[in-house]
Amino acid sequence: MWKKPYGYAEGFAVCAGLFLTGLLLQFINGKTGSAFLTFPYNLISGGIIAAVPLAVFLFFRKSAFYAWLSSVKSAIPAIISLLVLVVIMGLTRQAPSSETLDSGVLERIFGFSQMTSSWAFSLLMVFFMIILLLVILKRITAFRWRDTGFMLNHSGLFIALFSAIFGSGDLQRLSMTVQKGQMQWQAQTEKGETVELPLAIELKQFTIYEYPPKLMILDNLTGKALPENNPENLLVERSPMTGELAGWNIRVSKYLQYAGQMVTGDTVRYFEYHSEGAVDAVYASAENRKTGAKAEGWVSCGNFMFPFAALQLNDKASLIMPPVEPRRYSSDVTVYQKDDKTVEGVVEVNRPLAAGGWKIYQSSYDQTMGRWSEISIFQLVRDPWLPYVYAGIFMMLAGALWLFIFAPKKLEE
Amino acid sequence: MTWDWFKFFAVAAALFWFLGAWFALREKGVKKAVILTVTGLLVFFSFIVGMWISLERPPLRTMGETRLWYSFFLPLAGLITYVRWRYRWILSFSSILALVFICINIFKPEIHNKTLMPALQSPWFAPHVIVYMFSYAMMGAAAVFALYLLARPDKINRGVMSLCDNLIYVGLAFLTVGMLFGALWAKEAWGHYWSWDPKETWAAATWLGYLVFVHFRDNFPNSRYKTALVIILVSFVLLQVCWYGVNYLPSAKGISVHAYS
Ligand code: HEM
Repeated sequence: MWKKPYGYAEGFAVCAGLFLTGLLLQFINGKTGSAFLTFPYNLISGGIIAAVPLAVFLFFRKSAFYAWLSSVKSAIPAIISLLVLVVIMGLTRQAPSSETLDSGVLERIFGFSQMTSSWAFSLLMVFFMIILLLVILKRITAFRWRDTGFMLNHSGLFIALFSAIFGSGDLQRLSMTVQKGQMQWQAQTEKGETVELPLAIELKQFTIYEYPPKLMILDNLTGKALPENNPENLLVERSPMTGELAGWNIRVSKYLQYAGQMVTGDTVRYFEYHSEGAVDAVYASAENRKTGAKAEGWVSCGNFMFPFAALQLNDKASLIMPPVEPRRYSSDVTVYQKDDKTVEGVVEVNRPLAAGGWKIYQSSYDQTMGRWSEISIFQLVRDPWLPYVYAGIFMMLAGALWLFIFAPKKLEE
Repeated sequence: MTWDWFKFFAVAAALFWFLGAWFALREKGVKKAVILTVTGLLVFFSFIVGMWISLERPPLRTMGETRLWYSFFLPLAGLITYVRWRYRWILSFSSILALVFICINIFKPEIHNKTLMPALQSPWFAPHVIVYMFSYAMMGAAAVFALYLLARPDKINRGVMSLCDNLIYVGLAFLTVGMLFGALWAKEAWGHYWSWDPKETWAAATWLGYLVFVHFRDNFPNSRYKTALVIILVSFVLLQVCWYGVNYLPSAKGISVHAYS
C-alpha cells in the first residue's frame, strides 16, 4: 500500500480510516448535530468540500494523489463505504434527528440510529463529494461533447447533494394547528418549541370526503381478519348489494352514511341522523355457504360519539366495519402576510399553497373526530436552497435520458 | 373488469409472447416476433386499462398490482432489447420471467380494493411506480442472466458482458428517474424531497449498488467479469429489500410512509 500509483487498497484504507475516525469523534463529541450545517460551520465544511478538489486540481495535477483521487479507484471505495452505511441505516431503526440520544447502548455510541447525523457518515460523505467534484473538474477542462451525459449526471448529483446538505441548515419545517373560524400565527418546531411567524393562517372551512365503508370478518378469538393469510374485505359502494366474504354470503340491505344509534333494551338500531357525530352504519345479513347458518343485524365502525357495533355470526366469527378511510381532505384558508398581502386558497394533500416564501401543506386533522374534525393541521416549509436542488435533479434527469439513449452505444465501440 | 378476468387476458397474452419468442429464435422471424409480442402486450395492457377504469385509480397500490406491471414490462423490456441489439433468445427469457409473475398473481391473488390514501392521489403516482417497475424488469433480467453466467462460467465473454452492461445502463437510467420522480413527488406530498424513510433508504442503497457496477465496468471493461456479475446480484438483493423486503424489516415496522398493502 501507498506505492504509486495508488489504487483500490488505498481507497478502502482511507474509507476505513475515515470510518474509524468518525466512530472516535462520535465517542468523544456525540453526534455532529447540525453543527456541520449551521452558520458559520457550514462555510467551513462546505469550504473543505470545494477547496480540497480545487487545490488538488490547481496545484498537484501532476501528482499520483490527483490521479487517484479523480479516478474510479477512489470513487468505488467511497461509493461502497457509503452503501455499507446506508445498509446499516436501513437495518437500524432510526430516531428523529431532533431527539437527543443517551449513550450506553452500542449502536448509540456509534450513532447508527441517527446515521445521517453521525460523524462516520458525515466524513465519508465529505470524501465522496470531494471525489465527485474533482472528477467533474478533471473532465470539464477536457470537455468533449460525448461527455455531456457524464457531466449532467455527475455535476447534477453534486449540485443536488451539496444544496440539499448545506441547505438543510436553513430549512425550516413547522407544524401549525388551526381551529375552524380562527386565525393562527404560532407554529411548533420539530423539537416542540413555539415560534411566531410573519404570516397567519385563517381556517375558513375544513372538509373531508370519505370512502364508502368496508366490511370484514374477524376471528372472535384472535381478532385477526379472515381468511387468515389473505384477509378479504367488501366495499359497500351502494345498497342494496351482495357479496362474499370468507365463506359467507353477505347482503347489505341498508347503508346509512349519516346515522345515529338508538339502544332499546338489548336491541341496537340505527336511524338517519345528520348532525354532528353521525356515523356510518350498515344493515347486513350473512349466510354461511357451507352450513347455511344465518345472522343479521347492524354493523358500524363507531366514532367519538357512538360505540362500535359488530354482528356476531357464530361463536368463531364476527362481521365488522373497520374505521372508514378518508378519500380527500382539504382546508379553505386565507393567509395574511406582514405586508398586508393576503392569499386565499385551498390546501390539500399533494396540493400545497405558496405564500410569502413558505409552502403550506395539509398534514393532518383531529383523527379522533374523523369527518367532524374542527381543526386542521398544516406543515409549513421554507427551503431557500430548493431551486438549486431542483436544478441538480433536472440535470440528473437529463443525464439519465442521455444514459438511456447513448451510453450502451459507447460500450460497443 | 375484475381480477376474475385476469387469467384469460394473461394466458392469451402469454401465448402471443411465447409464439413471438419462438419466431425470434429463428433467423428470419424478426418481424413476426415483434408483431406477436406487441399483440401480447396490447392484450395485457387492455386488462390493466380495464382495471384502472373499474378501480377508478391506477392499479399500482398493492404488491399484486405492481406485479401486474412487472409482468407487462418484462416482455416490453425484452422487446426493446431485442429490437435494439437482436439477442435472439431474449424474448424467450423475458416471456418466462413474465409468466412467473403472472402465475403468482393467478395462484396467490390478493384482495384489491378501490381505496387509495390521499398522499397517493397525485399525478406523480403513476409515472413514479411505472418507471420503477420498468427498471426492476431490466434489473431482474440482468440478475437472472448473471446467475446463469456464474453457474456456467464457460459462457462468459465480452459479448454477454456487454448485454449485462446494456441492461444495467438502461435499468439504472430508469432507476434514477424513478427515484427523482419520487423526490419531486415527496416534496409536493410531504413537504420534503428526501426524508430517509426506510423505503427511501433502501432505494438509495440499491442505487449505490448499481453505481458500483457501472464504475467497476468502467475501470475493468475487459476483465474481472465474475466480480462484476456478483455486484449485479448483490445490487439485486438490495432491490428486493427495497421493493417488498422493507415490509418485513423490524427496523421499518410501523414508521414507513411507504407501508401500504
Ligand atoms: C448520478 C450517478 C452517476 C452516474 C450515472 C455515473 C455514471 C458514470 C459513467 C457512465 C461513467 C463512465 C463513462 C465515461 O467515462 O464517460 C462514470 C465515470 C466515473 N464516475 Fe460516475 N456516475 C455517477 C456518480 C458518480 C459518483 C457519486 C462518483 C464519485 C464519488 C463518480 C465517479 C466517477 C469517476 C471517478 C469516473 C471515471 C471518470 C474518469 O476516469 O474520467 N460517479 N460515471
